[in-house]
Amino acid sequence: MKKHSDIILKTEDLCKYYGTGDNQVKAVDHVNLEIRQGEFVSIIGKSGSGKSTLLHMLGGLDTPTSGHVFIDGENIASFKEAKLSQIRRRKIGFIFQAYNLIPSLNVWENIVLPLGLDSKPVDESFIHDIIQTLGLSGKIKNLPNTLSGGQQQRCAIARAIAAKPSIILADEPTGNLDTRTGDETMALLKASAAKYGQTLVVITHNEEVAQMAGRTIILADGRILSSGESEVASDEEN
Amino acid sequence: MKKTNTVRSLALSKLRYNKSRTILTATAIMLTTMLLMTIGTVGVALADMNRQIYAESDYHTNFNGLTADQVNILSKHINVEAMSATETFADISNGKMNGVLSCREIIKDARTTDGSDSSLAVHLESGHYPETEEEICSSPVFFRRVGAEPVIGGKVTLSFRINGKGEILTKEFTICGLEPDVEISEDIDDSRLMWAAHVSKALLDRYEADGLYEPAPFATLRVYGEDDLTFDEMTDRINTVAADIGLGEGDVHINKAYLFTVTDPGTETMAVIAIIGLIVVFFSALVIYSIYYVGVITDVQEIGKLKALGASGRQIARLFYWQGAIVSAFAVPAGLLIGFLLPCFLFPLALWLYQSGSAISSYSRDAVEAVAGQIHMFSLPVLFIAAAAALVTVAVSLRKPIRMAKKVSPVEAIRYQESSSDRKSRKGHREVNVAALAFANLTRNKRRTAVTIFTMGLSCVLFICVSAVLSSLSAEDLARRSIPRGDFRIALDYANHDKEYPENNLDSLVQQAYFNEAFLEKLASIEGVESVERASGVILSSTEIESAMYEDYHNRLPLSYFTREDVAELSAYLEQGSIDYDRMTANNEIVCTHVYSFEQYGLSMGDTFPLTLHDGSREIPLTVTLTALTQPDSNFSFLIMTEDTWNSLGLTCDPTTDIYLHVDDAHYDSVKETLLELVSENEHFTLYAMDVEIKIGNSGIGLTKNPLYLLLILIAVIGFINLINTMITSIVTRKKELGILQALGLSDRQLVHMLSGEGLVFTAGTLLISLTLGNAAGYLLFLWAKKEHFMSISRYHYPLWETVGLALVLLIGQTAITLFIHKKVKKESLIERIRNQE
Repeated sequence: MKKHSDIILKTEDLCKYYGTGDNQVKAVDHVNLEIRQGEFVSIIGKSGSGKSTLLHMLGGLDTPTSGHVFIDGENIASFKEAKLSQIRRRKIGFIFQAYNLIPSLNVWENIVLPLGLDSKPVDESFIHDIIQTLGLSGKIKNLPNTLSGGQQQRCAIARAIAAKPSIILADEPTGNLDTRTGDETMALLKASAAKYGQTLVVITHNEEVAQMAGRTIILADGRILSSGESEVASDEEN
Repeated sequence: MKKTNTVRSLALSKLRYNKSRTILTATAIMLTTMLLMTIGTVGVALADMNRQIYAESDYHTNFNGLTADQVNILSKHINVEAMSATETFADISNGKMNGVLSCREIIKDARTTDGSDSSLAVHLESGHYPETEEEICSSPVFFRRVGAEPVIGGKVTLSFRINGKGEILTKEFTICGLEPDVEISEDIDDSRLMWAAHVSKALLDRYEADGLYEPAPFATLRVYGEDDLTFDEMTDRINTVAADIGLGEGDVHINKAYLFTVTDPGTETMAVIAIIGLIVVFFSALVIYSIYYVGVITDVQEIGKLKALGASGRQIARLFYWQGAIVSAFAVPAGLLIGFLLPCFLFPLALWLYQSGSAISSYSRDAVEAVAGQIHMFSLPVLFIAAAAALVTVAVSLRKPIRMAKKVSPVEAIRYQESSSDRKSRKGHREVNVAALAFANLTRNKRRTAVTIFTMGLSCVLFICVSAVLSSLSAEDLARRSIPRGDFRIALDYANHDKEYPENNLDSLVQQAYFNEAFLEKLASIEGVESVERASGVILSSTEIESAMYEDYHNRLPLSYFTREDVAELSAYLEQGSIDYDRMTANNEIVCTHVYSFEQYGLSMGDTFPLTLHDGSREIPLTVTLTALTQPDSNFSFLIMTEDTWNSLGLTCDPTTDIYLHVDDAHYDSVKETLLELVSENEHFTLYAMDVEIKIGNSGIGLTKNPLYLLLILIAVIGFINLINTMITSIVTRKKELGILQALGLSDRQLVHMLSGEGLVFTAGTLLISLTLGNAAGYLLFLWAKKEHFMSISRYHYPLWETVGLALVLLIGQTAITLFIHKKVKKESLIERIRNQE
């Protein structure tokens, strides 16, 4: 396969199987995928199609049964735990459906957490900029349990962006939100990613959300039905 | 159709699902049961052992200083069941050996009308009790000591002084009986042992007829009613018998240990066992409670779902009770079994440790050895009580968690996200590092953190508290009573007022100047001796006035002195009067240092004694006034004047009676050997060596100390379970949160640092509580033990090693547990952990 210098995320024959014999479930089955720097990709599919498993493996949260994941050209299977943690801190921002904020930390602390874990100084003006962009200015000292669902998800987005990662992986970021809040949140996420030049990979059920992406990958039974190859192909030709 | 118990099935499946929690609960319940069973079994064993030991000396009382008439009346007294009369005929005169010749007669024994042996009689392995004037019996070790072959028919020549006074007589005896042999360590100096041999009544009668012997028999008695009366009633009956023959209270010595054991079997032991049991129940309940409490918090959503499906509060309660019951069904029997087997192995071990630590082979040690193999340990009531107490502990521990679970509403549960407090915001930090994360978690629920530290602290407080008493239970302290300073003491053996052999009296001995400079220099020149010092001198005093005290000392009472530096210690233990060094010097005032004797002799503040002090052959008149009563730890003479008063006496003889030697450790043994040789050259010298005194001290306290150490270990085990529970709880219940942190880039190393940091706060808090509350409580317990004369405790020793051990175990234990649990948690993939609890 031709190597592209701007391909930030790539999978080769990625598989994740659970169980054995007749009970075997192929959550992800021989997936080959390339995502370029700055791209906004949505992954859609029915429940159980393997979307979340794929995303988790892309972010190094789960280990594949076979196949490889490359981040910035490096095979993450070869990384030790410490290096993998470093990759997650520096290159990847996660957004979960259940927000997953740390309950004992306030909004500000949740946002700057990935920087602290990397012993990096906090660029306060940058963080304030994100907070303002996401409309959390009045809430920075609040504990997560005092925030609405939308506010919690915006906080999670801010946290994902704070360390200026190259990739943001979002798992159903609007799944727990009402339509209006969901739309607003997606718009903010897309704008932020664009503003900071980040690659955005979003899993969703929502057609409207999917349509906001530059490319849509459709998964069924762990396999890619469509990956918007034409766009990639046309790009490759350019 | 088969009816299934849904709640029970659900409880079972929950137990299977939450495996680590189930194992933890089962361990806690098992250990609780085990501890209760162990404690109960040890109690039964101790009670049985005491019963067996005391059964060997089953008399009720001794009556001293009797006349022949009184013995006669006693033998016919309606309340006397059995009785023997013993006469101490003579003191054995054989170098430094302490020994007596006595004669015992069974006057009456209503119990042995069938002809069986009386327990009041002298038990012989072979031969018979002396009947003729020439016959003698004793243990083989006695005969070996006096240089005779211990065989029946063998001859032995002994020198003795009848009634401990008069001329020394020498006589050849024939061995007619042998008592059981005992083993005596060679380390024990003769001066520390008391020997005895039995002679015939015929011999006593002859010397009495010759007017050389004044009989002063004492009677050993059993009165009727042992099986029916209480301890107090038995004591009353004994005192009534004494009163009937006109015997004063001072001559009645009741065998309280035996009476207590037979009239009130094991009440005291049972009370101690019950208190320890309650402590175990309390701490175990805390641990089990906190496991269930955390269980409810983690399961709130699940409970909510059950409620949403229609489960009633009652069913939720039953769900928890079933879980407790199922776990207990396995854990309690296992605990009972281990709890019984453990003391079966440890009890003989404790006895063995006691024996190997003590040097003296005494009657009680032999008795212990003899019964060790046949102690009765199993008790069905103890088994039932331990099982019931364990089940009640589980039920009590479940009460509050169940109340919490019943209150969970379905909606609350579905929405549930742990918010420990009503706090809306937090000041926070501009930057968040691992330390800030750990701190944020600890302060998230301050109450829970405080309660955890407090419960862990409490068991450690108990540990430190018992340690304080244990470390103060020191054989060295006991040894220091004989050797107040240094490693060896050479003491001058003197009589106060021996009329027949006045050369042995102190006033004569001081004229010999045994402890002169040349002798001290000789001691100092021994290789390894670092220094030689004289103890405060002693001078004999007599008085013309009537005084029970002076009478008791044959009108030769030793006096000594205290220095200005001693005032602080004497004042610290002051009971009556006041100590002012200058005033006391100016007025020739003296201090009494023994409360018991003060009361016994009916002394009072302001008593004045016109004395004559015997400085060799010179006599110094001095009138002293008693103005203070105190009971210090250090060894002082019974009556002491100030050093300045002492110096003003202008003594011409050296009043030194004791020499202390400080030696370096490397030469201890060689110095001891040289000193033994030196001391053997002078019959008036006795050597006290620190190693021997410590062994003697150990013989006294070992049997108490070892079981206390066992108790200490048990307390430590409970505390450690508490620690394990705390650490597991803090990690397992936050599995998801920790997973998210790792997803955000927290490395394994950082995670371990964070968890260890949190653990460190628990450890530091626990140590702080143990060191403050524990030390304070430990000191109070020590003061109580000292006041109650528990095992002669006198000096407080800080339990340094126990404290260091506790700190190390907490630190290492906490880190090890953190690493262990983290490793276990890591077996799940990150994503499984994040999904956990969703």
